[in-house]
This record gives sequence, C-alpha cells and structure tokens, in this order.
Amino acid sequence: MTDLLRILALWRGRTFWLAFGILISLAALACGAAMMALSGSMVAGVVTGAALAAPFALRVLGPARVVLRYLERLATHDATFRALADLRVWFFRGIATSSAGGLGFRRAGDVLARLVTDVEALDGIYLRILIPLAGAVLLLPVLAITIGQIDPLAAVAVLLLFAASAFGLPLLSARAAAGLGGRLSTTGSALRVACLDALHGLREVRAFSAEGRMLANVQACESNLLAAQHELSRRGAIAAAGAFLCAQVGILVVLLAAGAHPAQAALLVLLAVAAFEAVSGLPRAGVTAGQAAGAARRVLEAAEHGPAVPDPAPGAPLPKGSALRFEGVAFAWAADRAKVFDGLTIDIPQGARVALLGPSGAGKSTLAALALKVVAPQAGRVLLGGADIATLPAAEVRSRIGWLSQATHLFDDTIRGNLLLAKPDADDAALWAVLEAAQLGGVVRTLPDGLDTWIGEAGARLSGGQGRRLALARALLSTAPVLIFDEPCAGLDAETERAFLATLNEVAEGRTVVLIAHRLTGVERLDRIFRLSAGRAVAAAG
Amino acid sequence: MDTAKRTARLWLREQTKRGQRAARPAIALGLAGAAAAVVQAWCAAGALDAAIAGAAAPLGLLAGFAVLALLRTVLGLLAEQAAFRAGAAARRRLRTDALHRLLAAGPALLRGRHSGELASIVVDRIEALDGLFARYIPAAMLAVIAPALIVAVLLWFDGVAALILMGTGLLVPVAMALSGLGAAAASRSQFAALARLQARFLDRVRGIATIVMLGRAADEAVALGRAAEELRHRTMRVLRMAFLSSAALDLAAALALVVLALRAFAHGAAPGIALFELLLVPEFFAPLRVFAGAYQDRMQAVGASGPLAEMPPAPEPAPPLEIRTVEARGVSVAFETVNFTWDPARGPALNSLSFRVPAGETLVLAGPSGAGKSTVLEILLGFVHPDSGRVTLNGADIVTLVPAALSRLTAWIGQRPVLFAGTIRDNIRFARPEASDDEVAEAARFARVDGFAAGMQRGLDTQVGEGGFGLSGGQVQRVAIARAFLKNAPLLLLDEPTAHLDPVTEAEVLESLKRLTVGRTVILASHSAAAHAFGGRRLDLRDGTAAAPARGVA
Repeated sequence: MTDLLRILALWRGRTFWLAFGILISLAALACGAAMMALSGSMVAGVVTGAALAAPFALRVLGPARVVLRYLERLATHDATFRALADLRVWFFRGIATSSAGGLGFRRAGDVLARLVTDVEALDGIYLRILIPLAGAVLLLPVLAITIGQIDPLAAVAVLLLFAASAFGLPLLSARAAAGLGGRLSTTGSALRVACLDALHGLREVRAFSAEGRMLANVQACESNLLAAQHELSRRGAIAAAGAFLCAQVGILVVLLAAGAHPAQAALLVLLAVAAFEAVSGLPRAGVTAGQAAGAARRVLEAAEHGPAVPDPAPGAPLPKGSALRFEGVAFAWAADRAKVFDGLTIDIPQGARVALLGPSGAGKSTLAALALKVVAPQAGRVLLGGADIATLPAAEVRSRIGWLSQATHLFDDTIRGNLLLAKPDADDAALWAVLEAAQLGGVVRTLPDGLDTWIGEAGARLSGGQGRRLALARALLSTAPVLIFDEPCAGLDAETERAFLATLNEVAEGRTVVLIAHRLTGVERLDRIFRLSAGRAVAAAG
Repeated sequence: MDTAKRTARLWLREQTKRGQRAARPAIALGLAGAAAAVVQAWCAAGALDAAIAGAAAPLGLLAGFAVLALLRTVLGLLAEQAAFRAGAAARRRLRTDALHRLLAAGPALLRGRHSGELASIVVDRIEALDGLFARYIPAAMLAVIAPALIVAVLLWFDGVAALILMGTGLLVPVAMALSGLGAAAASRSQFAALARLQARFLDRVRGIATIVMLGRAADEAVALGRAAEELRHRTMRVLRMAFLSSAALDLAAALALVVLALRAFAHGAAPGIALFELLLVPEFFAPLRVFAGAYQDRMQAVGASGPLAEMPPAPEPAPPLEIRTVEARGVSVAFETVNFTWDPARGPALNSLSFRVPAGETLVLAGPSGAGKSTVLEILLGFVHPDSGRVTLNGADIVTLVPAALSRLTAWIGQRPVLFAGTIRDNIRFARPEASDDEVAEAARFARVDGFAAGMQRGLDTQVGEGGFGLSGGQVQRVAIARAFLKNAPLLLLDEPTAHLDPVTEAEVLESLKRLTVGRTVILASHSAAAHAFGGRRLDLRDGTAAAPARGVA
C-alpha cells in the first residue's frame, strides 16, 4: 500500500484539480443523501412544521444533485486525464535513465509491454478508489451526528457496520487481491507462453503432428488461469456480499430503533439506505487497489532503478577523434553468470570498416552495449578518440555512435517522423538523400503519401527489408562518425540480407563502420575482421 | 474496410446471441434478487409505517426483512458466480475454437503474419471479451426486465406511481436518443482516446533504447506530455456533451424521487405505500446504472472482435474412409510437373517441376533463394498442396494422405528450429511423446546434445525456450537433430539447416546430419558450399524449375 501512496505523491502538482474533483463529488453525494432523507420525512407526514419549505428544498435539491453529478463527472475525468499524463511522462523519464533502457537494448520488449499494462492499472486509482473512499470518509461523521442525536446506541451499531463495509471489507479484499496477484500473473504468462509456443512452432507442430498435444497444453494453462481468476472473483464477491450484509443489518438496526422515534423514523431509515448504497462499491474498489498495489511496486522498481552507468559529475570534454579501442575489457551481465569478455582488446581506427564475428552467445551485442555506455566494463577501459568513455557523459558518447540492430525500433509514425528522430531539424532534401543512400527512395516515391506515409506498428506496413533500410536511413541521418551495425540482417531471408549488406558497402563513406555478425556472406567490403572467442578477439584474415 | 467491419459486427451479434443463452442463470438470479428487493422494501415500508404511528415494530415484517436480506446476499453471490462462469465458458470455447483453426491452417499462416500477433489474438483479444459475456449481456437483459418487474408490482398497489416510475424510466433512453450521443458516445470516445494514448505510449516505451541512443529521451517525454494534454482537451470537449446522457439517468432518478415525494406529500397519502414507493426508486434505477457501467465492456468487445471475426475457417473433419498410409520401410519421392504459386504478383514458386528420389538416396536441392527449394519441402511436409501436378510418396498422392500419416513418414529440420518452453529433454521428446528415457538419452548422445548439456548445471533438465536458458544456433540445431533421430522416420527433409551458423559450427552440425542420413531418403535444400559436400545427387533449381538435368556429385 505504501507503493500506492508513492504513486499518489507523484500527483502532488495536481492537488488542486484532484481536490476539486473530490469536493464536487462530496457535494453531489451530500445532495443525494439529503434528498433521500428529506423525501422520506415528507411522505411520513412529519414535516408539517415547515410545510412550505420542505417541498421547495426538495425542488432545489433534485436539480442541484443532477447538476453536481454532471460537474463531478467532468471534474474527476479531467483530473484523471491530468494525472495519467503525469504518470506516463514520469515513467518514461524514469526508464529512459534507468537500466530499463538496457532492457530495451536487450530486446525485452515484452517486459516493457507488461510494465505499460501496469502503468495502465494505476489510472483508476483516483476515480475508482480515492473518490469513493473520500465519500465514505465524509458520510461517517454525517451518520454519527444525525443518528447520534436521535439514538446514540443505534448510531454506534450503524457506524461500526458502516466502517466495516466501507473500510474493513475493502481492506480485506485488497489484501486478497494482492495475494492472488502473483498467481494471476504466473498463470497468465504461462498461457501466453503456451499459445506462443503452439503458434511460433507451427511448422514443428505440423511436422510432428503435435496439434492435439499443443491444444491440450493451452487448455491446461487456460484452466489454471481461469481457476486463479475464479478465486479472485469469489473473494471479491464474498467481500461485496459482506458489505451488502452489513448494509442490510444496519438498516435493520435503524428499523428496530425507529419505533422509539416516530418523528425521525423515515429520515433515519432513508439516510441509512442512501449512505450504505453510496459505499457499496468499495469492496470492489479494494480488489482494484490490491491489484494496483502490485502494479505500483513493479512500476516504481523499473522507473526508479537509476542509471546502470552513472554519468561522471563533471564530464570530460569530448575528444576530437573517434577511434574506438577496447582495452583489456572484462564483463559479465551478472556476478553469477559466466564472463562474456575477459581481456578483450580491439582497435578500431577512425574511418575503418571492421567486422566482429562470433557464434551466438559469444557476446557480440554486449560489445555494442559497452561502447554505448548501456553497461560499464568490470575491468579494462573503452576509449573513444583516446578518452576513456567512463569520463564522458553517456549522451555525448551516443551522439558520436550510431546504432542499428534487430532491437532498433520503428515507431508507429510516418516515414518522416521516424527519420526526424535522428535529427529533428533535418529538411526534406536531407531526408530524401538518406533514403536514396539506403536505396529506399524509389519505394517511398511510389507511395501516394511519400514521406508522410504511416508505417504502422513496428513498421508493419513495410517489408522486413524495407524496415531495415528505413532504420539504416535514420542511422545515416545522424551525424555520428561511428556506426555500429549489430546483426542488422537478423530475421531477414538470405537474398534480402545480401542486398542490404551490398547497400551497406556504398554508404557511410568516411565513417567508421562496425559490423557485428555471426558469419559473413561474402558481399561485405571490409578492412579488418575479428573473431570473438573465449571472451577475446582474434584478428582473422579477410 | 467496410466489409471487415460488417464481418466483425455480424460475428459479435452471433456471439451475443450465444452469450444470451449462456447468461440465463445469471439473469434469472439477478431477477430473483430484484424480486426479493421489492418484497423487502415492502417489509421495510410496513415496519416504518408502524414506527411512524408510534406502534411497536411488527416482528413479522422485521423477520421478513432479515430473511430477505440473507436471501439477497446469497442470490447476489450466486449471480456473480454464474456471471463469472458464463464469461469463463465463453472464453474457453472461443480460445479452443481459435487455436483449433490456427493449428489447422498450419505453417502457411506464418508467411503473412507474425506468431506474436496471432498469440495476442488467442490470449488478449479473447480475454478482452470476458466483460461482454460476464457483465454486459446479463446487464443489458436485466436493465429491461428488472425495472419492468418493479413497475408491474407497483401497478398493483398504486397505478399512478407506477406510471410515474415507468415514465421517468423511459425518459432515460429517450433523453439518450435525443442528445444524439448517448452513453455509447461517452464510453466510445473515452475508450478510443485512451486506447490511442496507450498505443502511443507503448510504442515509445518499446522503442526506449532507440530513443535513448539517439539522445531524444527528453524531447520525447515532452512530446508525450503534450500529446496527453491535447488528448485531454479534445476528449473533455466530447465528454461535456456525452455526459449529458449520464445526466439524463440522474435526472430521471431525481425526478422520480421528487415527484413521488411531492405527490404523496400533497395528497397526504398513507405513509406505508408512499415509503414503499420511495424505497423502490433506487431499486428501479440500479439495473440501469449497472447497464450504463457495463457499456464499457461492450466497447472493449467491439474493439477486440475484428481479428477474431477474420480467423481462418474451421477445418472440416477428415473423411474417415480416405485414410491412406504408405509402406514405411523406405520411401521414394516423386514430383510430377508440379506447379505452385504463393503470391500471383510474384510469379510461380514452382514451375512444372519434376524429379524422383529413390528410397534411401539423398537429393541436394541447390539454387539461389527464391528458386523454390523451401517450397518443395513445404509441399512434402503437407504445409501446402500443389496447385497442379502430383507429388507421390511410394506412388501414393500426398494429397490423399491424412496429416498424421504423412507426419509419421517424415522428419524435418528447418533453418531455425523452435524450442518450446520446457527442459531440453522435453524438447527432444517432443518428436515422440511416448519415447522412453533411454531412447531420449540415446537421441541426445547421437546428436551430441549431451556434450553441451553436460556443461550446464541441470544437464538435459535445463529449462530452455521462452523464459529459459538461451541456446546458441548450433545447440538448437543439435536438439533438432536429436528430435529427428528419436522420430526415426524414413524420409528426412532438411531446409537450410546450417544457414544461420558460423562456419565452424556448420561443419560440426553437418557431420551429425550426415550420420543421420544413413538408411533414409533425404532431401536437403541448401546453397551453402559446405552442404554440397554432403554427397548424393544434386538438383539445381532456378525460378521454380530444374536448371540442368540432375547429376551426381563426387
């Protein structure tokens, strides 16, 4: 629950709007309760003293309640939109600086997608938890004063029941939901993995006629998920039933007490009915809160992790040259994992075209991560233009090194929007020049919307080869003197791969090109070739 | 676009109809709850009436109130469980159906679509339909019949009050229609706006590494904030109008209460009946409120229904009479003027291709990519059928073989074999689930899987696949070889098995593959020079046809 409070603290800047929403909602609630109580008193014929005032008051309260409810909806939704904008910007800034940037680097797209779902789960905190809770807090003294004046004993009983229904049971259901959170997410991801296995492996499944087995596996995983969901629904339903029962007993108490107070009997009962109805949704809000608490914990962990490689306090000036040198570098992703590099030394002179080859698992991508300061070596140094990059701010290092890999993302935006990311002030001529260089200009020209063509989610409206060429054009648009291509053709078929590598030979004249691959196709134009093995680099013949 | 929308709408209508049948228990329980609420309101009004008169509370009525309270609690619990069951049953049915169709459509699907996208249909889209079956459908029915029940009961006590209640109730749909937007528009615009923002946010977060590496994180954060702010402005403009329809519901409820109270007050009606009427007002409007709240669930279902409506057709059950198998000791393969086209725009993949491979011999298919090598193998695997011409195994047309029989005859190793979530042992056993531990161990030894597995802490019980230990390309190919060995099929199909390996690993894997070919009919597709030293006949393919007569290779 402290995690939820920390999320609320993020919204400090919106205090006015959030409080305004709460105030209006309280006014609407008070209006509703007053209306119910007043109309009860009237029909009971006990307001003869104010025979004229009462109908008038009712005529005012009715419209007032409608108007207030309308304003409440507007105010609370407006506040929610403000809060969710803040939350997203904060989260984005957080993962941009924290190691989650490294997560993106390591193609953990699904981890990130799950975090986004968690952020989404936090949107309802204000509207679905805070607002009804504030209503309950307001109603508690109202009930205490109104009923307490008439019948203190009944008031104590009603207040206890009200507190149980508005605070106790929601707390219990929040606990239950939080406890089930782990089971829900493990069974949910098991189902996802089972489905992915069956579909990603469609060829294997057909070749080994495993359709029945795969379907049975998915069904078993689904049953586990449904069982977990059923348990959650059952606990939520029990909490809601408990709250309902509290309300019923409360009304019964008031009914029993009413006999002693004929004049206020109707007021008492209808006020109790209205009050309990107002908080009837809270146990369910408790379930939401329980789930949001888990989400809050994960979101805070990811966003407040801090950078993996802290920037030096006063950054050294950026050197003129851009020769890259790895000097006795040792690195392991975690203390308990095998070392990826141990005494790695490579020289990549400025303007050279170099290939680094190695089987998968030899740490080829780690090399790019080290050069880009996503991670720092545990021993040794990485030098850029002769300066240890540990002494340079990460942003400066990255401005010198362009990066293209399988994890390079194409955004659900236009071709122009994707390119401009590399250089926001580039003009159309510059965009066309890099598209031509990447041999994509012809294709883009035939598109009816040209540069303004929307490329779809992850470039879905482009073919695999076209997508990679667009990423190449973006890398070329940046003025970085060093370009690292990390398995740029992964996932492409052999023919497209060769065509892409042939294009690569023609571009980036004068820049340093580092091609990281598991093998060469023979079309690459290179100055030097290194082989990575046993954590070191060995020069290999071209 | 429009036909797609129409298909989705028809599909949703069909599902709603099925959902209505499944929701009957939930609806019946909800209706019983409403009936109990009416009787309970009557008890409460009676007890109050006595209290106002200064009389002792009638114990019978209070006892009735208490019993009905318990009954309503139980009915509520049961209704909720019934709703959950309806949603769960619908999801189970839809998921099995969707997966069944996808599995039947087979590997050809993966040419145009990504497996991740298909999996998200089977998992997320179907999860998103839960609200439709569990909440929206029961709520939509109850929003009509529960208020009708209350009006019917009230007619018996006080006709005018019943008419007032009914009139205000009818005000809700009328006001919604008049405002021209309705609760629908409110939900729709809010839902769509949030979905758009969420999609953009997800896209930027997925691409966080690209943004950070380009040094654009700060700018993108500002842009994200601006987009959210714009969205708020635009959405709030719509909501200002749209919330008028929600206000109509509030107005109707307030109107009912005020009119009933004033009328009773003016006429000096008996407090008992008047209180009964007042207590019924919240009960009357409660189902309408639940319905308005559940509208969101329907919006979600509409959003999710598109891709589900466009699933590949359900497979027809295989005709039981046509079961053909072939003698499994040695298989000869023949292509007779086979034509096949994947995409008419790109020309035929196979063009009158003919060749024969006698039992126990090896054929190497050579040629550049796109020459049709993979298509030959996919036809032999039954992933696709030839457009014309015949492909025979031991003389039997491949089209007449049931998939299970064809699968028994063939073992296949592709460019990137898929490892499933599980242990290395599970992945080998995938080839033949009934294999004994000894047989699996023998396969692991044959393919030299045991060699690299020994270096892992848990050996063959190391978890691999999604969320497990990442194996290198060569290691994955070894697992695939172990699978093929365990399966022990007479026809071995190899589709560029070393295309993604470095040269050293390629040589090692080829050596294992060569041992696997002994005594089997083998078709190997490859343009790797090393693979051509494999022995056997060689067939050069160009544009889907044999470039030169098949010749032996030294």
